[in-house]
Amino acid sequence: MARNAMLIDESKCTACRGCQVACKQWNELTGWEYSKTVNGGGYENPPKLTPQTWTRIKFTELDGPQGFRWLFLKEGCMHCGDPACVNVCPTKALKKQVDGRVTVETDLCNGCGYCSQFCPFGIPKLAVEGVFTGKAKASKCTFCQDRTGNGMGPSCVKTCPAQALHWGDRDKLIAVGKKRVEALKTRGFTAANLYGEEVVGGLGRLYVLIEKPETYGLPADPRYPVAAIMWQNIVQPLGKIAIGGTMLATLVAWLVIRRNIKMEEVE
Amino acid sequence: MNGQGQQAGHVFQIRWIPKYTFVERLLHWVHTASFIPLVATGLVLYLDILKPLAQGDAGQWMRLMHRLAAVLFIAEPVIYGIMQPRRLWMHLKEFSFERDDLGWLKNAFSYYVWGRHEAMPPQGRFNTGEKINGMMMILGWILFVASGLIMWFGKGVVSADLFRWMVVLHDLTTIVSVCMFIVHLYLAVAHPLMWAALVSMRFGVASASYAAAHHAKWYYGPKRAMELYEAKKRGASHSG
Repeated sequence: MARNAMLIDESKCTACRGCQVACKQWNELTGWEYSKTVNGGGYENPPKLTPQTWTRIKFTELDGPQGFRWLFLKEGCMHCGDPACVNVCPTKALKKQVDGRVTVETDLCNGCGYCSQFCPFGIPKLAVEGVFTGKAKASKCTFCQDRTGNGMGPSCVKTCPAQALHWGDRDKLIAVGKKRVEALKTRGFTAANLYGEEVVGGLGRLYVLIEKPETYGLPADPRYPVAAIMWQNIVQPLGKIAIGGTMLATLVAWLVIRRNIKMEEVE
Repeated sequence: MNGQGQQAGHVFQIRWIPKYTFVERLLHWVHTASFIPLVATGLVLYLDILKPLAQGDAGQWMRLMHRLAAVLFIAEPVIYGIMQPRRLWMHLKEFSFERDDLGWLKNAFSYYVWGRHEAMPPQGRFNTGEKINGMMMILGWILFVASGLIMWFGKGVVSADLFRWMVVLHDLTTIVSVCMFIVHLYLAVAHPLMWAALVSMRFGVASASYAAAHHAKWYYGPKRAMELYEAKKRGASHSG
């Protein structure tokens, strides 16, 4: 099955934040975390992704020779082609679907939080009930797995009035994105670029950006974490060999030594 | 503590000398009782066959148990240090290595496999292997506690990269510790030369004749032990 993806054209986003509302509504996420509004000095709200906020528009304020302007970035899970979160998840709560979506099965989650720490983008969030007990649940954007698993698009895509969001076949959307980048370049946005085509196995969330990724606060060169490779591809397999080998050697030692040394002869 | 008895017409006498205090033995078993559940609840994240136990509510319970056992694991040496600081210091000194330990390592194979302890240089209260085990356990404890506490309380506080490497370190320490535990368990319960170790850890005493043969530097003192060792070597070369 071909990979699906979301193309986010940040040159079209007006930061109406309809996507934030649609996300909360469809996924039944509360706004209780922000019952006390915090003024961060800008129009951005809420201030960050949380267990109850899976997508939000990040505002970057730029003050240049052309005057003041905003850059908008619709944050959320990147649905990496090579998802570290899925590999480090010990419960299979996180799964990579055949069409590339990284879905969450909350019932299976035990709250270990490895996904939140190994994600190259720091996306999955942990709702911690108790630090001492470790009771927690992880959550993140699932591309509305119950919609996209049934042939519909994510609810944010459906709601976007600026038509900045697109859902569909990844290869086709890459072509659309590249065309848009070229069009933007001819119109003076020389730094325009398509983000996410190749990195971390190719992202399921593609961005048309009008400035460099770093200007938006996106990592220019996100990498699958080296520690995850070290841990799961080297230490864990070698550990199984080491422990198995020690058990085997001890068994052999036991069989040999019990014949060699008679306990009665030891003073 | 001297015991007497009669067996098949022979009178035998075992003279017992103290080796461990009550607190040491109790804490040894507290350590055991925390280490085994720690490994068991950790293995559910490691072995694919056990992974269903890591899912959902069962997984939450595993993580809670891991934390409860961790409290014991962390507290045990701390309690020891508070209750018997001199004994702790004495152990740290006894675990440190000397030149003789090389001689022991050279002869360790024939000692453990063939039971030949004549060639072994005289040992203190702990032989070289026991010292290595002791030092590795101290190092392992430090690494477990440091990486574990960072994973427990540092999530979202320390950098993600530090957290990731703590996971790797915790796993690496587990693997080495489990290998050591397997060997330790075998030596303690099944190796014919080591029966005295389990007696010592249960009742706090060692038989004098065992101590004289296997831990001469402890039994006779370093000077006398070396004299006896040299004399025995000369005797062996004369007769040979």
